[in-house]
Amino acid sequence: MRTRKKPLVTTIAVIVALFFLFPTYWMVSTAFTPSGDITTSKYDIVPLALTVKNFVTAVGKQGFGFYVRNSLFVTLSALLFAMITGLLASIPLARLRFRGRKGFMLLILVAQLAPFEALLVPYYLFLRNFKLDTSLTGLVLIYFVSTLPFTVWTLRGFINGIPEDLEQAAMVDGCSRWTAFWRVTFPLLGPGLVATSVYAFITAWNEYLYAFVILQDQSKYTLPVWLASFSTNFGTDWGGSMAASALFTVPVLVFFLIVQRNLVAGITAGAVKG
Amino acid sequence: MTASSNTAVPARAHVPAPRRPAAGRVKPPIARRISVRTVPYLLLAPAVLALLGLLGYPVVSVFIYSFQNLGPRQINLHLTEWVGFANYQEIFGDPDFWTITGRTLAFTAGAVTGIMLAGLGCAQLMKHTNRVVRTILQITLLLAWAMPIVAVTTVFQFIFDQNYGILNKTLVKLGFSGFANFDWFTTSFSTLTIIAIIIIWQGVPFAAFTLYAGLVAVPGDLYEAVSIDGANAVQSFWSVTWPGIKSIFMLTMFLEVLWDFKVFTQVWVIRQGGPDGGSITLSIQQYLKGIAGNHYGVAAAVSVVMIVLLAIITAQYIRMLVRSQEADFA
Repeated sequence: MRTRKKPLVTTIAVIVALFFLFPTYWMVSTAFTPSGDITTSKYDIVPLALTVKNFVTAVGKQGFGFYVRNSLFVTLSALLFAMITGLLASIPLARLRFRGRKGFMLLILVAQLAPFEALLVPYYLFLRNFKLDTSLTGLVLIYFVSTLPFTVWTLRGFINGIPEDLEQAAMVDGCSRWTAFWRVTFPLLGPGLVATSVYAFITAWNEYLYAFVILQDQSKYTLPVWLASFSTNFGTDWGGSMAASALFTVPVLVFFLIVQRNLVAGITAGAVKG
Repeated sequence: MTASSNTAVPARAHVPAPRRPAAGRVKPPIARRISVRTVPYLLLAPAVLALLGLLGYPVVSVFIYSFQNLGPRQINLHLTEWVGFANYQEIFGDPDFWTITGRTLAFTAGAVTGIMLAGLGCAQLMKHTNRVVRTILQITLLLAWAMPIVAVTTVFQFIFDQNYGILNKTLVKLGFSGFANFDWFTTSFSTLTIIAIIIIWQGVPFAAFTLYAGLVAVPGDLYEAVSIDGANAVQSFWSVTWPGIKSIFMLTMFLEVLWDFKVFTQVWVIRQGGPDGGSITLSIQQYLKGIAGNHYGVAAAVSVVMIVLLAIITAQYIRMLVRSQEADFA
């Protein structure tokens, strides 16, 4: 029974794998296909000729450098704030016993599931009110607060994973509580810090809704907004569009593969979409 | 019992140990004890203030706005016009609103069902196939998971493109010549189905990996025991697998409901709510009413409806999460 079932399972698994691979393959393959070949009725599931011209087109689009810079600025600023604030908050939640601890944990958990998509109107009005709707600052604030709960929750998990006995051993040797944390636990937290910042990076880097709603000024667009308008404005230039998508995907993919081992554990414990 | 208070602290208590046991002081001075007590709150303060100011305040505001007549005039002149439940009466009296709500619920149900079934299927495949095929499957799932939403949406737009899309080309090649230049986005149903396919394609990896982790944790000897009792595959699924993965399955499903109900990007990028408003969901509607239509009060009322529905689901989810990880949470 078992041996007869195996080939069937393998076949299905391979078909499923192809289904999940295809769009990514198709993006990359189209990006390298000459645009003349794309806009014909030729059937070309494997590109017949290769070119990098689509990438040149995408990068050469007006403002591309600005959009990259905007995206990096917004993402990295939000990331920095979220990591610092998140690390500070995760320490007491993981290591200290104090009144109201459970309440704070619940606050973080609820904040993590908060429906940011349903807060469009207040964010939009606040930022307009404070004249932040023309700058990237508003976006930094929104990305900071939307990645913060997740950062706290995940870092707390990573700190919990480092045995406290190590700190106690250091304290027996005369370290203060704080020095023990700083000298013993913090260095061991390295992988946790990397993983957490990668999640935060990906979340902010990919965010479309608020970037689209809040940035009225085209020179302030981030890459997702630019990419979405690319396919609208240059509808038939699928080669350029796919090349732009591929360029946008590369940093995410690299970072994602670095931390994929922690992904399931981190996300189920923390409950945030990657 | 008579030992001084600071040596009576149990070894694992989370109280700072005395800095120098030989320093001579039995108790730290009061000021220092107070400052030690405030340390956790000081460390939490930046995060809590950020959450209250940047998240709590908007949430409160959206409720307040939903009872106001708020348009460009009121904003520019800083007027506050309370209108009671008028905004709610307006949206509840609008037949479109009920169509949109029903559509959003049906769409969420479809996407979540698709993700959970396909995710469970993929998890079973991972478990039952050999190591090489499993690794291949896992890598392709990871790639799908890693793709940025806007990039995925753009690729699917191209795949379903009327003139140059590979889907139509393939169908024509297979002999279905009617699909030459076939437009997949003419009806509300087909547009929403394609959007759901995008969301399912991207949502399955998370569900699959989570459920796979649940599946491999089910003890193998239980399967042996039921197969000795003569159970077939279906029976062994319901008597062994399902009880083992039920809690992780439900948690994942609730998360998917939370995520898919409020989805904006895929819907908007594909057709901006079209054709003819046929793919407008609640999150699109609040954008159209509020940001695009300048009826901020009405849009806030739509947001409140979303928040209330999501809050009910979130509360259920948190209750389940706390129960399933009681030791960890406490």
